[in-house]
Amino acid sequence: MNIGILQVAMVFMALAMIPCMYRILVGPTILDRVVGLDAMTTVMVVMLGVYSFVHESVFFLDVALVLSIISFLGTVAISKYLDEGVVF
Amino acid sequence: MKKLFVYSIDLGIVWCFVSGNISIINFLFGAIISYLLLRPLRALYDNITDDSLEVLILKIPSLMRYFMKLAIEILKASIAVAKIIIQPTINIKPGIISVPIRAKTDLGITTLSNTITLTPGTLTVDVSDDRSILYVHCIDIDDADEIRESIREELEDYVLEAFE
Amino acid sequence: MTDYEMIRNILSFSFFAGGMIFLFLGMLGLLRLPDVYNRLHATTKIGILGAFGVMLGIVMKVGFNSMGIKAITVGMFLMLTAPMAAHMMSRAAHRHGVGLCKESIVDEYGQSYYKDQEKE
Repeated sequence: MNIGILQVAMVFMALAMIPCMYRILVGPTILDRVVGLDAMTTVMVVMLGVYSFVHESVFFLDVALVLSIISFLGTVAISKYLDEGVVF
Repeated sequence: MKKLFVYSIDLGIVWCFVSGNISIINFLFGAIISYLLLRPLRALYDNITDDSLEVLILKIPSLMRYFMKLAIEILKASIAVAKIIIQPTINIKPGIISVPIRAKTDLGITTLSNTITLTPGTLTVDVSDDRSILYVHCIDIDDADEIRESIREELEDYVLEAFE
Repeated sequence: MTDYEMIRNILSFSFFAGGMIFLFLGMLGLLRLPDVYNRLHATTKIGILGAFGVMLGIVMKVGFNSMGIKAITVGMFLMLTAPMAAHMMSRAAHRHGVGLCKESIVDEYGQSYYKDQEKE
């Protein structure tokens, strides 16, 4: 039963990732691509949460925490660069 | 000196949550490590003025009220935006309006703008140079004055009570 | 005891499924809405509610052991940082010259910004 939940949830999340890929590839402006990347990281964090929920393993949540920290820093750095021309 | 202890205790609690093990030993470990790390970096936060511990403890009821309000608003916001998304034809009137605010301190302005972003149909874009106006993007403007009124009356009272 | 277990399982599974449905709706909004600012509305609010729902589902299943505490930490971190990231992105978009979509009716930030430029 658990494996069934895992497969349905993973397919659902992969479907949710298609709009992000579309925005990253097509998006008319560069900020659309940044928004797409940020949203894709949220979906990935939820995927890791699903995986650790089904397997009852704690290690994927560490990965999720680090991934969300890196995503936040990357978004702030790209936005600051586009805004002011420098990062620091 | 007192500030250093308060920050060490805060970071010790954060360390307990991040390492996933809430116990006295783990908390003391985190607090001592953060004290040793914060000590050489005192020049970075010496100019920040904040309240004493007693004022912080007295504020706990209003903080609880603020978080209750925040949870309800987030649920309402998501349902409102989801309704817009699942319409067959998207029919919205977006725009950026200016909202005058009463909050003065850095913490108050930051909390207010984060709260505005998490509530129905509004997203903070920027704060003006003299820190008296927030520019807010709204997804569906029926009446700009009504949105300004709702931010001032419903959200800002809770934020001012809890954080200033 | 078994009743309690069953109620907890059902509650955690419904939080879990609700979070994933909200996340999917948010990503659908990323596809359908017309410009950067409206897309940020969809991903910030609904995406964060979905992620927090999934994390609450984990907490309800396993209780407050090390896994539950880490899940609630991930949820709180996302909820704290997403509004700041959205603010940075929307400000960068406006200063970078990304206009609002053609349905927009008012832009008071652009007016103040151009007034400053003319003064300089």
